[in-house]
Order: sequence, then structure tokens, then C-alpha cells
Amino acid sequence: MDAISTLSADVPHLQESFNSAIVIGNAEFGLTQYILWMIICWIITLAVVILVGRKLTLIPTNKFINTVEYGYQFVRNDMGEGVIGHGFKKHVPFLATLFFFILISNFVGLIPGCKTPTGTISVTWALATISFIYFNFWGIKAHGGWGYIKSIAPSGLPAPMVPIIWFFELISLILRWLTLAVRLYGNMFAGHMVLGIFALASSVFLTVGIQSVDVLTGALTIPWFLLLIVMYALETLVAFLQAYVFTILSSVYVQLATSSH
Amino acid sequence: MEITMVLAALKVVGYGLGAIGPGIGIGIACYGCCVGTARQPELQGRLFTNFIIGAALAEALALIGFVLAFIL
Repeated sequence: MDAISTLSADVPHLQESFNSAIVIGNAEFGLTQYILWMIICWIITLAVVILVGRKLTLIPTNKFINTVEYGYQFVRNDMGEGVIGHGFKKHVPFLATLFFFILISNFVGLIPGCKTPTGTISVTWALATISFIYFNFWGIKAHGGWGYIKSIAPSGLPAPMVPIIWFFELISLILRWLTLAVRLYGNMFAGHMVLGIFALASSVFLTVGIQSVDVLTGALTIPWFLLLIVMYALETLVAFLQAYVFTILSSVYVQLATSSH
Repeated sequence: MEITMVLAALKVVGYGLGAIGPGIGIGIACYGCCVGTARQPELQGRLFTNFIIGAALAEALALIGFVLAFIL
């Protein structure tokens, strides 16, 4: 199969296009394509929030405002009230910011030609660090410094077991930081890689089929393209689901840190 | 060239082995969610939230393997 070898020769180029490259400025002070798109997503989020916040009415008549309000309500009721419970109101702005920023970043990446800011480990690492500092801060505020350190191990354990369990719980606490970052990055990166490979396969099969006047190779473009559309639908679901998962895990961690065991 | 091919193949095999556990885990979580919803449909919302949290935690292991396969 000639098309397969052409495809395997093209895949490294696809992989290379996912690496961070500087698009504005120079190596000392410049923006990579991901950071450029992160700033664009940040501006979109800010614009949406300011635009909607200035036109709030008691009875929403505008469909766009209604949609954003629905999203905010989703964060407030599902993730705030449902997970954190008592005293959730002060956490809702943080959770809503996280949710909208990640959601817009993920969806911007689905537009062909745009890059998803969450497709690089640096951005997701920064988001996870913000979340990690946030829930530790509220944990320390709720229990006090020494009380928070003690509250890492669940209460009611026999005394000799406490240091061992405390140590394991500490590892799991730090792993939350890692997994928050890697989960979002891995999902976005893997999804875009799969989309890229299917798109590349359909274009390669079509070109090779036309060049070598091979009907069978050309006809194989159709299943590749159908698969691409199916994966695209799946990625749309994943884009929403990952924003949801990141936010709900943040609120679960806040709940775990602030609640008294 | 041979060695790089073998190494690349081993990375994929390692990722495949790493995906077994989370696959079983998410399967069990989904089973529990379905059974719980069938018995008590009014709890569906909370069960689904817990299912998503559990699936996300299990999935993280597979994704760590996936990322390691790329960066090693």
C-alpha cells in the first residue's frame, strides 16, 4: 500500500506541529502559539462575562445572556451547592471562572486552524497550581495551619497507624496536583492527535488515489472521513466533559480540605 | 533504526498494559452507576456526578501512561 507509507512518513510532521513554537517575538521574550491562544481565550472569557454582567435583567429575554446564566447556574447548583454544601457561595466565583475559561479554551481548539491552550502541559499545570493553592488556602483558613496538617489523615484511627496513613494521604494530596494537570492535558492532546491523524489519513488517501488512479484507495477516503466526523463529535463531548471534570474535582478538593472529618 | 522501532513498540505495549486497570475500573464504575440508577431513578443526578468523579480519577492513570509513552 503506497498510501500507508505516505501516511507514516507524514505523521512525524503532524507530531511536530503540536510542539510549542514561538509565533510572536523572539526566544528571549515571545509568545508560543498556545500562549497566544490562551490570551485570546482569556479575552473572550472576559468579554463574555462583562457583556453579560452589564445586561443582566430579572427576566432574561436575550438568548445569549440566558445561555451564560444557565452555565453559571449549572456551576452554582451542581458543583457548588451539590458538592461543597454549606458555605459554597464564596467558592462559586472561582469555580465559575475555571469552568468558563477551560470550556472556552477547549471549544476554541475544536475550530480548525485554532490551537487549544489546554493542549500544552504548561497551561494546564498553571491551572492545576492555581486550584491546588486555592484549596490548600481555604483548608488552612478553615482549620488553621497545624490543624490542616493534622486533618490530612482522617480522624478516628488507632494511634500507631496515624503517621503511616498521614504519609499516604499526603502523597495522594500532592498527586491531585499532578493528575489535575495531566488529565486535562492528556485528554486534549490525545484527542487532537487522533483528529489530526484521521484528517491526515483522509487527505493522504484521496491524494494518492487520484495520483495513482486507484479507485479502491480513493474510496477508502470515505470511511476515514466518516470516522473523523464521529471522532469530532466525541471530542466535542470530551471538551465539555473535561471542563466539567476539572471544575467538579476542584470543588471536591475544596470540600475535602474545608470539611471537618 | 531497529532499536528505535523496538523501543517505540515497547512504549505502545506499556501504554496498553497501563490502560487495562483503568478500563476495568471505569467499567465497574459505570456498572454501579447503571444498576443504582435502575433501582433508584430519582438519585440519577448525584450518581452520575459521582460516576464522573470516579471515572476521572481512574482515567488519570491511563492518561499518565499515555503522556509517558510520548515524552520518554
